[in-house]
Amino acid sequence: MTSYLLRRFLALIPVLLWITVISFGIIHLAPGKPTDAAMSFNPKVSLEARQRMEKLYGLDRPLHEQYLKWLGRLIRLDFGRSFLDDRPIGDKIAERLPVTLSINVASFLLILGLAVPLGVAAAVRPGGRFDRFTTVLVFLGYSTPSFWIALLGMALFGVTLRWLPVSGLHSLDADAMGWLSRWWDTARHLVLPVGVAAFVSLAGLSRYMRASMVDVLRQDYIRTARAKGLPERRVLFHHGLRNGLLPLITILGLALPDLIGGSVIAETIFSIPGMGRLFYEAVMSRDYPVVMALVTVGAVLTMLGNFLADVAYAYADPRIRVGRPT
Amino acid sequence: MRSNRLALAGGILLALLALAAIAAPWLAPHDPLQVNLPAALLPPSALFPLGTDQLGRDVLSRLLYGARISLTIGFIAVGIAVLVGSAVGAAAGFYGGWVDAVLMRLVDTLLSIPTIFLLLAVIAMDPGERLTALGALPVAGPMFRTIFAAVDPQIVVLMAVIGLMSWMGVARLVRAEILSLKEREFVLAARVLGASPWRLITTHLLPNAAGPVLVSAALGVGGAILTESVLSYLGLGVQPPTPSWGNILNEGRVALGVAWWLTIAPGVCILVTVLAFNLLGEGIRERIYRQ
Repeated sequence: MTSYLLRRFLALIPVLLWITVISFGIIHLAPGKPTDAAMSFNPKVSLEARQRMEKLYGLDRPLHEQYLKWLGRLIRLDFGRSFLDDRPIGDKIAERLPVTLSINVASFLLILGLAVPLGVAAAVRPGGRFDRFTTVLVFLGYSTPSFWIALLGMALFGVTLRWLPVSGLHSLDADAMGWLSRWWDTARHLVLPVGVAAFVSLAGLSRYMRASMVDVLRQDYIRTARAKGLPERRVLFHHGLRNGLLPLITILGLALPDLIGGSVIAETIFSIPGMGRLFYEAVMSRDYPVVMALVTVGAVLTMLGNFLADVAYAYADPRIRVGRPT
Repeated sequence: MRSNRLALAGGILLALLALAAIAAPWLAPHDPLQVNLPAALLPPSALFPLGTDQLGRDVLSRLLYGARISLTIGFIAVGIAVLVGSAVGAAAGFYGGWVDAVLMRLVDTLLSIPTIFLLLAVIAMDPGERLTALGALPVAGPMFRTIFAAVDPQIVVLMAVIGLMSWMGVARLVRAEILSLKEREFVLAARVLGASPWRLITTHLLPNAAGPVLVSAALGVGGAILTESVLSYLGLGVQPPTPSWGNILNEGRVALGVAWWLTIAPGVCILVTVLAFNLLGEGIRERIYRQ
């Protein structure tokens, strides 16, 4: 198993390098020079000052040299400074990453907790009433724009019913609360964003779960288990689910980019100070170093997630470790 | 059978939508761009079946014209994705070896980057500005200028960008199909008869790989419409005053409390359209796997 995992890990490295090339390339394809954003606010900036600025940022060196310098700094986790407020980008990311991660992890768990039972229940009686009902729900969920659900959720739960707050992570008087109230306050603020982020992914995942379970339940070993007289519960969960969950691990791995990206929309609409919103603001203000850094970080996180999914899959399915065909 | 009903429902819905979009100039009761401030924020009525927005423009007319924009962007974006994806997937599957390795490495890399990030990063580069700059080229300039007079460069950018974000899935599908088709007898027969690689791919391999690609295309148009609406909602897609379902939602956001029709109507449009494509795609998928 270690050799398999080592091979998978080594395969990641070229992809990582390509990601840095793409992030770098994108920014340098932007019209004008990266320093234009800083310079363009002051039209009286002289030519010498521009040239000095370019020298300072190393923009007059050949492109591959710039790339290598950037890569070198990246490896040391030095992401440079933001054009907007000149703060080190690493600090900005460190502030916001925990927020985004907690929203994503919470959505993830919510999706798992709902999609798996839904899929299994639908698979037990394919074509039955529950199955058809969930299929309709799934199609609707698939087709709904997440930002629209966010708006409707805000309008219904936030404005009309006033059950939940609609923006930010904390209420205005959060500092004055005891730690328990503050925890509850944050949790209330997270309900809508997490719910919205989970809603659309839920549809797809429960459908995959259903398909996977239907496949598994058709297998001979399930028939044997039933013929042996095992209680249906054991057949379903011990034999069926263990095998049915396997494809789900791969799908979850593939769904990671959407989860990280999806938080952009949720965070922007609900004004949550996370990485997604940082990215959106950087894009709107043409803060290129931040855009570059976040594209790289986002991609790296995705790859790490996929790698973890590979590890989990190898652990769960012994056939992968031994190299046997599934 | 259920699959036929799904595909049929999706198909009928789509036909109706397409008809409505094509017939927009005749169906729309008012000019979608006509500002009419005294009639701002009116609820649905006989005169304005879906109400008006903050500038007094008729929402129904804007939605009909928005349908044109969204459907066009969706179709062309997916067209680009299918073209590029099929080419890459066919090359990788057919030639194998290092071509396959390099191309699939590229696909994996692009798939690792969260789509929205890549999308926003590219749009942030003001590609519209870049495209319009093409109009100043010495020889091809006038041609570009005529194209951009007819089609807003921003829309061209949207179609290209969304398409180029989605080709990877198609590439993987096509590659998988070609890999399995390569060993079949009819391909070997064609090879023996001396068919060139081009002919093999275009006449024999790709047409037989069309099934999953069609499914992916149908679902892809739905996805492209969703993506376009998100971008327009964020202000990075279709720019006002050109109506798009996404930017109608964006403009309606500030009036959410008083003008619910500005939020409900475009959202329902997006939902129904994407639903239609999803039904169609799933229907086709069940049809294929039946065989």
